[in-house]
Amino acid sequence: MTAPLLVAAQPQASFVPDSAGGDFIQLRDVYKSYGEGLVVMDHLNLDMRADDRLVIIGPSGSGKSSLLRVMMGLESIQGGTISFQGKSYIDGNARNHGKPLDVRLQTQVGMVFQHYTLFPHLSVLSNLILAPMKVHGLSKVQATEKARLFLARLGLESKLNAYPSQLSGGQKQRVAIARALMLEPKLMLFDEVTSALDPEMVTEVQNVMMQLAEEKMAMIIVTHDMHFARNIASRVVFCANGKVVEQGPPAQIFTQPKEPRTREFLEKVLHLD
Amino acid sequence: MNYQFDFHFLTGNFGALWEGLKVTLQLALVSNVVGLILGFGLCLLTLNRWFFIRWPAQLFIEFFRCTPALLQIVWFFYCLPMLFNVFIDPITMGVLALGLNLTAFNAEAYRAGVQAVPREHLDACVALGLRPWQRTLYVILPQALRTALPVLMTNGISILQQSALVAIVAVADLMYVGKSIATEAYRPLETYSLIALIYFALSLPIAQLVQWLERRQDTALAR
Amino acid sequence: MQLDFMVVFSYWQVLAKGLALTLAFTVSCAVLGSVCGFLLSLLRLSKSPLIRIPTGLYVELFRGTPLLIQLFWIFFCLPVVFGISVPPYVSVVLALTLYMTAITSETFRGALKSIPSEQHDACTALGVASWNKVFYVIFPQALLRAVPPLLSNVVSLFKESALISSVGIADLMFVGQNISNSTARPVEFLSAVAVIYFLVAFPLTRLVGVIETRMLRRYAY
Repeated sequence: MTAPLLVAAQPQASFVPDSAGGDFIQLRDVYKSYGEGLVVMDHLNLDMRADDRLVIIGPSGSGKSSLLRVMMGLESIQGGTISFQGKSYIDGNARNHGKPLDVRLQTQVGMVFQHYTLFPHLSVLSNLILAPMKVHGLSKVQATEKARLFLARLGLESKLNAYPSQLSGGQKQRVAIARALMLEPKLMLFDEVTSALDPEMVTEVQNVMMQLAEEKMAMIIVTHDMHFARNIASRVVFCANGKVVEQGPPAQIFTQPKEPRTREFLEKVLHLD
Repeated sequence: MNYQFDFHFLTGNFGALWEGLKVTLQLALVSNVVGLILGFGLCLLTLNRWFFIRWPAQLFIEFFRCTPALLQIVWFFYCLPMLFNVFIDPITMGVLALGLNLTAFNAEAYRAGVQAVPREHLDACVALGLRPWQRTLYVILPQALRTALPVLMTNGISILQQSALVAIVAVADLMYVGKSIATEAYRPLETYSLIALIYFALSLPIAQLVQWLERRQDTALAR
Repeated sequence: MQLDFMVVFSYWQVLAKGLALTLAFTVSCAVLGSVCGFLLSLLRLSKSPLIRIPTGLYVELFRGTPLLIQLFWIFFCLPVVFGISVPPYVSVVLALTLYMTAITSETFRGALKSIPSEQHDACTALGVASWNKVFYVIFPQALLRAVPPLLSNVVSLFKESALISSVGIADLMFVGQNISNSTARPVEFLSAVAVIYFLVAFPLTRLVGVIETRMLRRYAY
């Protein structure tokens, strides 16, 4: 697979020397809790550049998935602000209770879920063209053409008319990625996309993600696969108790973590591998 | 609509209604006992490895599930005495018809429950050296019962409602008493509304309980 | 006692007429009741208690009382309440349709609720919102999932329709009872009628299983 996956123009990369800086996405003081006891984002600050590939790691319940779900507009925040491409994107104190303020910006975010979430009653093609037709107003011919292109690049051409139930887990997840890419997102979110897969199918999905990375797609990835995290990340963010504990290039985080909590966590998960 | 409601005539008929209600409750309760016990037995038969046991059991279930309950009741009342030359009192006959009907429906509910018991549990029973009957009684039945409980209870309510059909073969249940009062007093509206409310009041708490159980099972599954 | 099942065949035309009437009532009330039930299930999702409570009460009331009483109530009480004469056929269709509507609205409601929340999430992620989401993603899946229970409802309706014999409609049940009385051969005729009901209902219940294993496994999960 050598042809580029992306048809869309890439967002302008803004090179900020500090690895933690960047104005592509800025989370400021973001607060989110599920009732009293469970604070998943505790005055969280995070920056991201347009060519960053953030991999978020951390113990379960540390709000990794919540961050993605908030960015997608699936869940709301109760405080703080999030900007996206320099514009105000989510405001925890706004009237709409911390959901995305701008639908246009929201459609520039794509997300892939752990459990595929393909529409079971639609063929692969229909899954891909539904949103471009209904949301972006593409004609059926245009949308189908585009879908063919994406499927061909993912090696799924022959599955055009198949139904999700006829696909393997890896194929389903690749279709789900293609479906998200159809909307030409500026940011892709991956929420434990290989966790539900059989081991032999993990690579085919990770390869697609690596290819996206080579094409400089901005991504936020939540994964338990530390080996993959090391390969794909431009920056690894370790979260615990709703806060960013430590972040840095993968080589630094995985070999010389500064914080004891990071070291403790990595020792546990790396021993399990 | 300028109909004048008049419930006065009912005062003289309370005794009769009470007697009818007792018959209805008796029919519903005994049928449920029969159905809950025989239903599990029948369910085990349909899962038997020998086709000559499995097959008749399945036919029994399908026949009761695929014919009208009214027809089953009429058949029992007219045909059983003729075929076997016996006299059975009407209430026992009603229990027999309703109970066997419920047995068929409950057997299906139990079967879904039994099939939902994970295969590993059966393997574990072998590993623990449990005898087949111990496995059935201590491992399969409790789990199947838990899964099947909402359906079993819903079936139980519907047999209460189906029990009204025995009025057609002149068993003096609530429905029958109500029907006679309605005809004698020329007050169908008041009588039928009252009877309907009584059935409703009997069903509603159980239906609510079923909903509560289902919600609890749903949240348990979601965890 | 001598049983003679051959005698049944000499009455086949009368029985066939009864069956035709039973089927006509079943089909028309199934269609009417499914449409009304679907609309009712949407009303029951309403946020306004003014709509939700009465519709919920209707469903509970019709599911919580014997169909026989509903039938008698409509047959004997409607004319009294409104002071008009209602033709028997109309009352019977009304009773069966109201019953079907109640059980079908529950079917659709369950199907709508059974769509996993991930499907809603996926729609948000793709920007497919409001009516687009409902029409292209949620309804089609809910309708697919509702097909098997809907068919089971039709089978129930088919069986329950035997009750209309008690208000003098000459359906299969009525005809069967009539002949068995006049010929004094209840065993032969009632059994024959049971077999006829079985021959119609059984294939339908099998169809439910086929749809579940073939169609749903492919398009709905």
